[in-house]
Amino acid sequence: MSRLGIASCAMAMLALADGFTFTLGSPVAAEDFRAKVATFVFRTEGCADPAKAQIRGTAEGIVKGTRRSVALKVAAMSKPGVYAVYQTWPAEGEWVVNLKGTCAEANAGAIVPIGPRGFIRESAKFFPRPATDTEIETSLKALTQGGNK
Amino acid sequence: MFTRHVSRQIAAHLDGQLSQPKAQRAELHTLQCPQCRAEREQVRRGMAILEHLPTVEAPEAIWASIEAGFERNQPVPRPAVLRRRWAFAAIVLLALAGAAYWRLSHIPGARWEVVRLDGSPSVSAKPIREVGRIGAGEWIETDARSRAMVKVGEIGSVEVAPNTLLRVVTARPNEHRLSLARGEIRAKISAPPRLFFVDTASGTAVDLGCEYVLSTGEDGFGLLRVTKGWVSFQWKDLESLVPAGASCQMRPQAGPGIPYFDDAPENVKLALESFGFQKSANDRLSIILSESRVRDTLTLWHLLSRVEVGDRGRVFDRIAALTPVPAGVSREQALKLDPQTLIRWKEELAWTW
Repeated sequence: MSRLGIASCAMAMLALADGFTFTLGSPVAAEDFRAKVATFVFRTEGCADPAKAQIRGTAEGIVKGTRRSVALKVAAMSKPGVYAVYQTWPAEGEWVVNLKGTCAEANAGAIVPIGPRGFIRESAKFFPRPATDTEIETSLKALTQGGNK
Repeated sequence: MFTRHVSRQIAAHLDGQLSQPKAQRAELHTLQCPQCRAEREQVRRGMAILEHLPTVEAPEAIWASIEAGFERNQPVPRPAVLRRRWAFAAIVLLALAGAAYWRLSHIPGARWEVVRLDGSPSVSAKPIREVGRIGAGEWIETDARSRAMVKVGEIGSVEVAPNTLLRVVTARPNEHRLSLARGEIRAKISAPPRLFFVDTASGTAVDLGCEYVLSTGEDGFGLLRVTKGWVSFQWKDLESLVPAGASCQMRPQAGPGIPYFDDAPENVKLALESFGFQKSANDRLSIILSESRVRDTLTLWHLLSRVEVGDRGRVFDRIAALTPVPAGVSREQALKLDPQTLIRWKEELAWTW
């Protein structure tokens, strides 16, 4: 019975986190004055308790041919599940933001290319898990070759 | 363009007791009429002095001498005593005036720093050298070759472009209010919403955490262009919410037009130029609806409450075709312009803006 109970609980948690993913938006979508200088904002979708979601990420870039990785500044906004990403990476070079999230047992990932005029919504990629190194490198390569712009 | 003098309304206007239309008419007239402007300055100074006069108890010596005078029943004081009393009264008056002046010139936080950027901008008709100060009720004016920067308390700054006339209306920590009579300003504000306001002849720009450029002519025709955050432009019951990357025109007696993204299709922008201020423009509405992109739901969302009742369905359907209608938004409630429904919808649409 206890195994059945545990299995039921696990199924319920998975169901609650069904389709856990991110939605991107320009800073105005957060409707929070602290987002004014953010590069972009995002919100969690399909997370029953957004306040308990774990969010982290890095900025991955290539500057003058050298591969670099920079810690990301992500701030929770006034609405639960809404976060702002601030630029912590240098202005030069090509960069993508690699987002990772966990809600209960579910995972989500996203690669957001950054262009000269901000984030490139149309080229962003979303995953039901953290992005792999290969996926990050592919996105960066596309960005350096102008494929994302 | 000149209307009747507003001498009898000046005190009520300065006291904030006039209705918004009357206040705007008075403001517009005062801008164009040197006589009324001078009268307003006099009234403002008088009111300021009255407001800041300290309450001073009459010295006991006055009452003692009066009572003594009655008791002695002296019919006519001697000239020497009269002179002393007049001198004493003059000293008391001087002390009162000095105290009032000191209070006026030492109001904490009431005067903002003004930095000259180019040419010779002036504050209250006096040119500033490098750095000056401006307080509530004072004007800053730039000519064709001058620019200035006003530091708005602790919350940001306003760059004053050439050929601009700008007045500080209120300079308090909970309300920073300017009045742009003509010209252009560039505001950069880092503060919670609704602490910074700019009045114009066609409405008020309310900061919701933003950076923007606001330009207006003395006739009230103008343009608001937002570069970061949100600005709410309000006139009477009309409100346009303008996010970063969008602009909004304004007109006298019509207030704000319908906002649009600067990268919107040219046909949409052209159609909006006239449509925003005239409801009965069916052909232009058709152009706007057919050429709008997902991002232009900013414009369509505003249109919903500005078109004729019979056209609301067309606008709703176009938004619904561009992006899914979220849970909590029904066609019926949206067409009724239910405030909760419209807010919910706007919050969702903003993720595509």
